[in-house]
Amino acid sequence: MSERDTGIPTSVAELPNSEPRYVGRPIDRLEDPALLTGRTQFIDDLVLPRMLHCAILRSPHAHATIVSVDTSEAEKLPGVVAVVTGEDAKRWSNPVMTVPPGWGTHCLATDKARFVGEPVAAVAAVSRYVAEDALELIAVEYEPLPAVADARKALDVGSPLVFEQNGDNVMLRKLFTWGDVDGAFAGATHVVQREFRWNRLGANPLETFGVVSQWDELEGTLTCRGSFQAQHHFAMARAMVFNLPLNKVRFIAHPHGGSFGGKGGARGTDITALLSRKAGGRPVKWIEDRMEYLAGGASQAWDRHYDAAVALDAQGKVLGFRVRLLDDLGATAEGWGAVSAAKPLTSFTGCYAIPAAQYDLTIVATNKLPGSPYRGMGPPPHNWVLEQLMDLAARELALDPAEIRRRNFIPPDAFPYTIASGNEYDSGDYAAALETALAMADYPALRAEQARLRAEGRYLGIGLVNTIEPGVFDWNAYAIVGQPGTGVPEGATVGIDLFGKLTIKVGFALEGQGQYTVAAQVLADWFKVDIADVRVIALDTLAAPPHFGPGGSRLGVAITGAVLGAARRLTDKLVAVAAGLFRTTPEHVELRDGRIGVKGMPEASMPFQEVAQTMLARSDLLPPGVDPNPEATYVWTAPGRTPADDQGRAKSYLTAANACHLVLVEVDVETAQVHIRKYWIADDCGTRLNPANVEGQTQGGVAQGVGAALLEEAVYDEDGQLRTSTFMDYLLPTIYEVPMTEKRALCTPSPFTPLGAKGCGEGAMHTTPAAILCAINDALVPLGLELREVPASPQRLWTLLQQGKAARR
Amino acid sequence: MTVNGERHEADVEPRTTLVDFLRGTLGLTGTHVGCEHGVCGACTVLWNGKAVRSCIMLAVQADGAELKTVEGLADGPTLHPIQRAFLEKHGLQCGFCTPGFMISVYELLSRTSTPTDEEITDTLGGHICRCTGYQSIVEAVHVAVEKMRTK
Ligand code: FES
Ligand code: FES
Repeated sequence: MSERDTGIPTSVAELPNSEPRYVGRPIDRLEDPALLTGRTQFIDDLVLPRMLHCAILRSPHAHATIVSVDTSEAEKLPGVVAVVTGEDAKRWSNPVMTVPPGWGTHCLATDKARFVGEPVAAVAAVSRYVAEDALELIAVEYEPLPAVADARKALDVGSPLVFEQNGDNVMLRKLFTWGDVDGAFAGATHVVQREFRWNRLGANPLETFGVVSQWDELEGTLTCRGSFQAQHHFAMARAMVFNLPLNKVRFIAHPHGGSFGGKGGARGTDITALLSRKAGGRPVKWIEDRMEYLAGGASQAWDRHYDAAVALDAQGKVLGFRVRLLDDLGATAEGWGAVSAAKPLTSFTGCYAIPAAQYDLTIVATNKLPGSPYRGMGPPPHNWVLEQLMDLAARELALDPAEIRRRNFIPPDAFPYTIASGNEYDSGDYAAALETALAMADYPALRAEQARLRAEGRYLGIGLVNTIEPGVFDWNAYAIVGQPGTGVPEGATVGIDLFGKLTIKVGFALEGQGQYTVAAQVLADWFKVDIADVRVIALDTLAAPPHFGPGGSRLGVAITGAVLGAARRLTDKLVAVAAGLFRTTPEHVELRDGRIGVKGMPEASMPFQEVAQTMLARSDLLPPGVDPNPEATYVWTAPGRTPADDQGRAKSYLTAANACHLVLVEVDVETAQVHIRKYWIADDCGTRLNPANVEGQTQGGVAQGVGAALLEEAVYDEDGQLRTSTFMDYLLPTIYEVPMTEKRALCTPSPFTPLGAKGCGEGAMHTTPAAILCAINDALVPLGLELREVPASPQRLWTLLQQGKAARR
Repeated sequence: MTVNGERHEADVEPRTTLVDFLRGTLGLTGTHVGCEHGVCGACTVLWNGKAVRSCIMLAVQADGAELKTVEGLADGPTLHPIQRAFLEKHGLQCGFCTPGFMISVYELLSRTSTPTDEEITDTLGGHICRCTGYQSIVEAVHVAVEKMRTK
């Protein structure tokens, strides 16, 4: 099925409006005035009658048996209303479901603690201050156990076991082979093979997670308000955790201060639910503080050891690609971190036509914080490995990095194109993006400058990287780690009121990407009204149409589809009514430029608002049998996705955006500082629904990419103690590190999506880390050094430079 | 203390932080908390004309002080030129960091109407924005300077 069959336009020209004013233009965001004046109600701003405040006691040990928990003193503190421990969790809840299955725990540690920061007990009191005082009165007796904090050691026989009952620490081990990989390597003239290490980092939205839970014993219902990224998804999981029917669980998402994949907050939600139950149904609020977030929140992703290789022929054509990945998911699989190991299948071979590939995947448990999704999920580290190998291969064959890429690109006439690992790319012109970036930067001049400064003993490096951003996610992409399901619904309800104004009802709260504005743009252009006449509101999980919300660079495309589908249905209703009024049949009636009328007879038409008013207020004029509600709902899902086969191959993500980043860095070999001197981007994400939003996603992605490449790292010592528990040691990029960028937009519209847009929400995170790291290694070539560990912190780089010096002496 | 021109009197526990007092006691929730340890700048307010981090100040330190928060920027429904500039240049995404940024920019522009690029960078350098990068924010400051000059 394509969009055409559903009546959803695949291009702006197909809108029933000869002069669309909004789609494709940088429109001011509807969400901004409230944000700019401080009126947006984030979850911590919410106050409910008789609300209590929660504080959580966390394990100081990475691995310890819990002998006893004594809460009696805490309970006596004035102002304390309820205290919960693992015993309450066992009595009233189930362990959380995980992917892969069988690696989940209760929201409070029961038999033992498995990582530093794991919740052990929690208090609800009249204020957060009192609740924190009470934590100091809880006595926990631990018996420390040996911990394992290194993925390779976790595989050793005799390693401490995170879950004894599972027999070892391997959560999942699988080998996928696509095409004749052995043949490709055997027949290659060159093989480039390296090991790489990507250290843990994570989302760190500026607002931490927060929730207010309320348990109603009488009705047997649970209501949770919070900064949920995917409210429906989390409502389903809570229904299972608490053995409640789904219609007794109601989630209400508040606008949130960023998410980047990390706003699920399962433990916090479950703990506050238990506290509320114990406190007789009083609402309980928990706002995670930053140190809790860093130690025990959704703050860590991608803890990876790679061993990877490419096989090439004499002309530099890549014949085969092998990746062995050891992925450290931490103590449990509760954070959905495993999907990050599965997602590389969606773009395994990047922009290149590589016929054969192999993925040898091992996911292990260690005594560290469970991994969570982070912007881009799996591809950002994977892209770095692939692109770094391309650079190394170019060096080996004495080719320019641009040239080896040109020789391997999927050609523009090959789309739609199915890659070796099974996903289909919709459209693209990768050479055009590359040439655009090269021209913008005046690449030959850059290389000349690099050579000139090299002679002066200065080390400039150029990184030139192309990537795919898989967009519009589908669950089938994660089948290999045990994620069930195919298809992700996103619904919208569109209605016209008696005064002729339009409302769009959706199931997700704002988190910064500007999707309410996109929804309003699309609808305003459909009915040819002023965007100010459209209001977008969020509904809770019981009221909204089926929805998922942001995630997997999906929502911009999905909400466009949902709104257009609903607008189409609503228009059909209006047409049926108008046909009656004009005494003709619906096939002769159409919506055009905001008026509903008889085709080819402009005088026989009326504003669409009048038709809606007739439906609501003039039953005497309505043709028999029509539905008099000028409102319609449509649930959009990516067309044509397929279940995965036994090798994980599936048409999964709907779109393949492409970007080429070119960056010039200078490495100071004395201080080991990396300075980003210039940055160029050629970016193609199809039709830009609101170019300002796309620009924002790109810039934000560059900033996070700079952090990933140079600064951000969650450091554990070998006993599993976290060494980066504040923003003093976990470093986020500031304006001093993030470069200003020069950008150019290209457009190969997607043939598969509403209006031809491609997912772009994860943005430059796919490309920037690889570009910067490739540039650093380009700078190090004359020194004969390679940095193969991320982030390229001054410490790490300095050590490498010293080793290089020692070796040369 | 006076906040956005309104006088407030209250008894507080000595350990109450200024941001908790503003948000919890006065209900002025526009000032946000991102780190609670003085690094991110989300909690920035104007204290006797100076931009300070209200998460690492105590409420009692503001006894008798004159404060301004994001709620004090707009004039009724009319946005302050700095707010307008952030809107026009898309200098925000989730908007959680934005009140803090705008307060610091406000302080800068009340000191000088012709800030240098370096002054702008140093003003923004004390703030973390996780969503927007910094390019559009810098552009917003330039537009704000223009708007304030022609106001
Ligand atoms: S909350 Fe005060 S500086 Fe981060
Ligand atoms: S806009 Fe989200 S942190 Fe700045």
